[in-house]
Amino acid sequence: MDMTSAATRPVLKVVDATLDFGGLRALNNVSITIEAGLITSVIGPNGAGKTSLLNCVSGFYHPTRGDIFFGERRLTSSSPHQVSSLGIARAFQNIELFRGMTVLDNLMLARHRNLTYSFLQAVVYFGKASRLEAENRAVVEDVIDFMELEPYRKQTVGSMSYGIQKRVEVARALTLGPQLLLLDEPMAGMNIEEKEDMVRFILDIQKERDITVVLVEHDLGVVMDISDRIYVLDFGQVIGFGRPEEVAANPQVIDAYIGEG
Amino acid sequence: MSANRWFATGNFYTTYREEQRIFVTHLDRLFFSLLLIGLFAWPLLVPTSNRNMLVINNILIAVVAVYGLNLVTGFAGLISIGHAAFVGIGAYTLAGTAGAIGESHVLITHAWPLMILASGCMGAAFGAFVGLPAMRLKHLYLAIATLSFQMIFSWTINFMTFFNQGQMIPVGRVFWINGPVGRNEHYLFWYYVILVTAVACGLGVRNLLRTRYGRCLVAVRDNDRAADAMGMHPGLTKVYAFALAGFFAGIAGALHTYMFRGAGFESFTLHHSIIYLAMAIVGGLGTLPGSLLGPVAIQILELQMEHLSEWAGALLPANMNLATAMRPLGFGLVIVLFLMFEPRGIANWWRICRTYLKLWPFRY
Ligand SMILES: Nc1ncnc2c1ncn2[C@@H]1O[C@H](COP(=O)(O)OP(=O)(O)OP(=O)(O)O)[C@@H](O)[C@H]1O
Ligand SMILES: [Mg+2]
Repeated sequence: MDMTSAATRPVLKVVDATLDFGGLRALNNVSITIEAGLITSVIGPNGAGKTSLLNCVSGFYHPTRGDIFFGERRLTSSSPHQVSSLGIARAFQNIELFRGMTVLDNLMLARHRNLTYSFLQAVVYFGKASRLEAENRAVVEDVIDFMELEPYRKQTVGSMSYGIQKRVEVARALTLGPQLLLLDEPMAGMNIEEKEDMVRFILDIQKERDITVVLVEHDLGVVMDISDRIYVLDFGQVIGFGRPEEVAANPQVIDAYIGEG
Repeated sequence: MSANRWFATGNFYTTYREEQRIFVTHLDRLFFSLLLIGLFAWPLLVPTSNRNMLVINNILIAVVAVYGLNLVTGFAGLISIGHAAFVGIGAYTLAGTAGAIGESHVLITHAWPLMILASGCMGAAFGAFVGLPAMRLKHLYLAIATLSFQMIFSWTINFMTFFNQGQMIPVGRVFWINGPVGRNEHYLFWYYVILVTAVACGLGVRNLLRTRYGRCLVAVRDNDRAADAMGMHPGLTKVYAFALAGFFAGIAGALHTYMFRGAGFESFTLHHSIIYLAMAIVGGLGTLPGSLLGPVAIQILELQMEHLSEWAGALLPANMNLATAMRPLGFGLVIVLFLMFEPRGIANWWRICRTYLKLWPFRY
């Protein structure tokens, strides 16, 4: 959690982003700054535009107006594979794993960019190809240890429980070796125990791996517990921002939530 | 790794490299070596008629072609209904060159391995071009694009005088170290060339499949949004899949032309495209052994259907025409039955046998 508020460095900046789907405005002049090393949560009622915001950052959607910067890089019109190779990884709300593959293969696919051998080296599978495969396999195993997925290594993803699939999603995003990790409701549909595990993983990701985390989550208890900063979205607009205690005291935020529930 | 690499019941590894081997147990390796030795040795031990040799060579050529189709349709999940046209591109690269520079030019007769490779590259180029719509189109729309390529190919060959309007374009006899390959050794010689090619291509594909160049194919099949998020360009990956398919098809086409000593349009029609598809489905989409088993199974089926229809033709009155209808009917039936009851193809039976053998009898 945030101890030193003195020297903060923004890694991601969304500037006045607006996203329209035909007549529907999913994001309306959203400006967000994500600071390095923190866990920043984005909360808001259903349909508030949280997933749309992550989709804009990771390149699946492009904002109608406004800009997105990752460090110095302008991401506004980048495609997902470009964004991912810059160091932004993403776990999806609706699980988007390679269902027919094993956990291992899912994670090895996240090393795609790091396997720099050529096509011909791959055909003969000699020298660089075999060496890099083994090296990256070690990286994958490290993530498997970290996310405690050892028993599932060789299981086909499609046949595993929902909670474990969510965990594999996060593991796969981690395997990309990102600086910034976007997690879209990683705890949805989990039981209490699985949630506690996931909270522990997210905190470890921040502390041990030194990765900046953006978390979209509906469980306000968890959000208040682990976030350093919170953005509140409603109808595509930012209606609140601050540390957890500030947000909890913000009358506009309370309105939005009471209005919803 | 277990001390005993012959009868390992489970998988025991101590390094990642060990796990990445092609043949995990010595038993697998032994089986594969025996198969190879058998394939190379049998023609020397068993005298075989040219007719039978031709059938076997045809199967092996189909194996090479089906490697390609299986990569694009089985592994990358992009249905191609024009695979025979890509085989045709390879065949006509060779035949067209022969037509232009003379069928006995040294390039054709001496540099034949180079010509085969060049045909493969031409197939890959056309594959990539035809695969371009895959950047935007999906599923049925993409299949239609490959179908239209098949049509355009047939028309082009049939109408252009350069391609002899689809009539046979001859190709000369090739040379081996000890002079030209004569009429008597022709099929045997090509048996070995095709066998070596098929084995080399098979190993190449097997290697590709355990690297990023193979995994990306399966990734775009399973979930191209996620593939994008993993840093792959899904569109280009699909184009690459078509190029791979075209490459193997092109190689198969050149082998076909050399073996038949020429190319004519009737070997590369829509009918053949469907047969290739049947081979891939019956063998097992998305499995390497399927690319071997499919062509064998379909070729055997085809021969049996021939016998059966001869027999039926003799029994039934000639005007019923049932005999001629039986072949396509039989094919359709087999494909439908496989799709319904064993969509994973014959390769799945093979897999089940292996799993069973691994545990037999309660080894530990
Ligand atoms: N591809 C799309 N086409 C049309 N409308 C869309 C599209 N994606 C999102 N929307 C709309 O944009 C609005 C915001 O959706 P979004 O998925 O971002 O909400 P969310 O905050 O993630 O909600 P939830 O908590 O339910 O996940 C919704 O009204 C949704 O219907
Ligand atoms: Mg959402």
